[in-house]
Amino acid sequence: MNTNGFANLTRRGAIAGAAAAALIPTGALAQAKALTIALTADAIILDPHAANELSANIMFYHFYDALVQRTPELEFKPSLAESWQVTDDLTWVFKLRRGVKFHNGDELKASDVVFTVERLKKALMASLVANIAAARAIDDYTVEFKTPKPYAVLHMALAEILIMNEKHASAQTPEQIGLRPMGTGPYRLVEWIKEDRLVMEAHPDHWRGKAKIERVTFRPITNPATRTAALLTGGVDVIQDLSVRDVASVRANNAFNVITRPSLLNIVLALDMRDKSPTIDLPVNPMKDQRVREAIVRAINVEGLRTVVMNGFATPSEQFVPSSHLGYVPGLNFRQLYPFDLARAAALMKEAGFERGFTMTLDTTNNRYVNDATIAQALASMLSRINITVNLNLMPRANFFGYIRVPSDKSSFIMSGWDTPSGDAGNMYNVLLYSRGRKAGYGQANRGAYSNPAFDEAIDKADATSDMKKRHEYLQEATKIAARDIPMIPVHYEQDIYAAKKNVTVVPRMDKFIWAYEMDVT
Amino acid sequence: MFGYLIKRFIQMIFVLWIVSVLVFVMMSFTGDPTYMMVPLDATDEQIEQARRILGLDQSHLVQYWRFLTNLLQGDFGRSFVFRQPALQLIMERLPATLEIVFLAMIMALVVAIPLGVYAGAYPQRAGSRALMAGSLVGISLPGFWLGMVLIFIFAVKLQMFPSSGRGPTEVIWGMRLSFLSWEGFRHLILPAVTLSIGTLAILMRIIRAEMMEVLRQDYIKFARAKGAANRFVLFKHGLKNALIPLITVFGLMLGDLIAFATLTETIFAWPGIGKLLVDSIYRGDRPVIVVYLMFVAFLFVVVNFLVDVAYALIDPRIKVT
Repeated sequence: MNTNGFANLTRRGAIAGAAAAALIPTGALAQAKALTIALTADAIILDPHAANELSANIMFYHFYDALVQRTPELEFKPSLAESWQVTDDLTWVFKLRRGVKFHNGDELKASDVVFTVERLKKALMASLVANIAAARAIDDYTVEFKTPKPYAVLHMALAEILIMNEKHASAQTPEQIGLRPMGTGPYRLVEWIKEDRLVMEAHPDHWRGKAKIERVTFRPITNPATRTAALLTGGVDVIQDLSVRDVASVRANNAFNVITRPSLLNIVLALDMRDKSPTIDLPVNPMKDQRVREAIVRAINVEGLRTVVMNGFATPSEQFVPSSHLGYVPGLNFRQLYPFDLARAAALMKEAGFERGFTMTLDTTNNRYVNDATIAQALASMLSRINITVNLNLMPRANFFGYIRVPSDKSSFIMSGWDTPSGDAGNMYNVLLYSRGRKAGYGQANRGAYSNPAFDEAIDKADATSDMKKRHEYLQEATKIAARDIPMIPVHYEQDIYAAKKNVTVVPRMDKFIWAYEMDVT
Repeated sequence: MFGYLIKRFIQMIFVLWIVSVLVFVMMSFTGDPTYMMVPLDATDEQIEQARRILGLDQSHLVQYWRFLTNLLQGDFGRSFVFRQPALQLIMERLPATLEIVFLAMIMALVVAIPLGVYAGAYPQRAGSRALMAGSLVGISLPGFWLGMVLIFIFAVKLQMFPSSGRGPTEVIWGMRLSFLSWEGFRHLILPAVTLSIGTLAILMRIIRAEMMEVLRQDYIKFARAKGAANRFVLFKHGLKNALIPLITVFGLMLGDLIAFATLTETIFAWPGIGKLLVDSIYRGDRPVIVVYLMFVAFLFVVVNFLVDVAYALIDPRIKVT
């Protein structure tokens, strides 16, 4: 499957910067390198404006580029845009890279960027352009964006907007675009046989330089044990989501590497803070009292969940977002602020007048997050120690997200996962913790109906500046307030586990995307 | 015969209609699929927009009416997820399923008939008893477990067969088929074996029971008295008569295998319609589920009809009216 014996090729630990891109030797190989990667599911569609789902996302970034690129560590670097500047609070000007070629040979022009924004506005993924009021081509290589309000992280949001070719895309039906992607990305589609394989080959005129791996095949293998078997039998070179059960045996095998890294998916518990809570049969909602909320955090043994339920494959969350994000406060840690302490938790419950506890229902999924049902059971038994009886309401994800949807009038206590690949806590705080119903586009997923004017004010300030440093400070302010108020308890980040043959360099990404351009085979 | 055809046809339309209603009612309880399509932080306007794009902005009744009227024009609706015609999705994947199902059926028949005849002819022999016990195991083995064991033994340990996937395919009459090349055929074997075991065991037990029944008949005694060779008696007179009830079972099992090869397909990452169904349920993709179940109902009705017709052709004592 792979060509061996080219050990002295450049190995890349991290992604090459834009300037270095041209210098990467493509290597005069006698035989083209090939790689087969098994994913948990097939892409549903190859139109990047029509879906937001992991397998599809993985494909999109092979075929298309954005103006800005996200590194595996969630840093943001120039991609199709060479540079940009904020000219006033609402205006951003991006300079495009010259000579970028689409797969069909067309050169990338500013009009393509404008077309993409316009197309997205009418598409299923319109939320991606919510922060762009208008896009305008100043000349062939300069685009101007207007934001509806000052938005200091527009460039980070642009990393998710994949640029299409205007001339090509407007001549195609939506269905054709969904089947035959055509962008500036490092790979172009060879064939896609649904549910069987998706094959792509390196785009020779790619602006970063041709990819090192000539041919990449993705295979969807849903069953975890089958995926492991496919790796062991040599059918595939890399697998996504190695089953926790198989980690020890694959690790023990000399031919393979197991690669893990904390993902971005933070499992959080939303606590209801309304006067009366739907599933609590008491005149007043006990969780309105900060002491009860603190007691709940202290009664949850996150380390126990990690070792017992997650087999060690979880990273306890310090805050709502990881350290790479805007709004992260160094040194602030839920696990140190409110360490697991049953005696203290019981004392707090007593202080608040709920020594005899209460009963409520936990809503969560049974097929969406790693071990979600088991975590829910563990939480119920942990909280029973401070006399809180937790009834479990587990449901498949197809029902869950509609069920808990704000106004969440059936829920008191919700466990769900939240990831913010945008690298900015603001995206999360705006929707999850900002007061409901005060501003359009804010608080739409505030399931516990948390409302603190000080928190809202910090967010308002963050969203009123186009200075990233200031935004960071305001968001940190918000983080501190939320850590004090505990409207939501961060539990842990799931871990992504990959397995690969020894000769494959896998670069695990924080956003869980697999990008063959960053990989190599020796 | 013509009246019978008309009757069956009306019956079929009725069954399909009932299925479509049932599925629509069931699916309206499983939550709003829009939430599966939009990001979690979508605003109300974005959700409304997505609903409009998916055609979910109307009441269930209007949606159903729209579905029915489109159906009469040959439009079975579009998948929410793939944004493609649902029927096309199913037809694309059908050849893959048919391939393993037919191979599994052939395997089951080739093995079950001689074993069933043997066990029916000599029910007291130790070999027959062993076969009966073995068939019970075959019936009770869960397919997913068997599949995993086969993968472990024949793919991982012995490296005889590939562990999953379809392998190279060739396009014939617009269908992608694996069995035309040796490499493709190798990919077929493990899933087909997994699928065939349960069917094989049931067929064998039925053949045995029917053989025991038939061998008690006077014409068998007469044949033996005539001095006909044992093999001739068993296969010519015995099996031929024992096969009649088998046709019913065979037809139903064929439908069963096509409709519910889901587990086998999921385990072997086999790109057939069963896996499509599982994925669609998981994603709340109602149009695909509706069309799939209607397709399966259609299949059963057609198979049953063919079985009835075949009955009349094989057994002159039976008349269809």
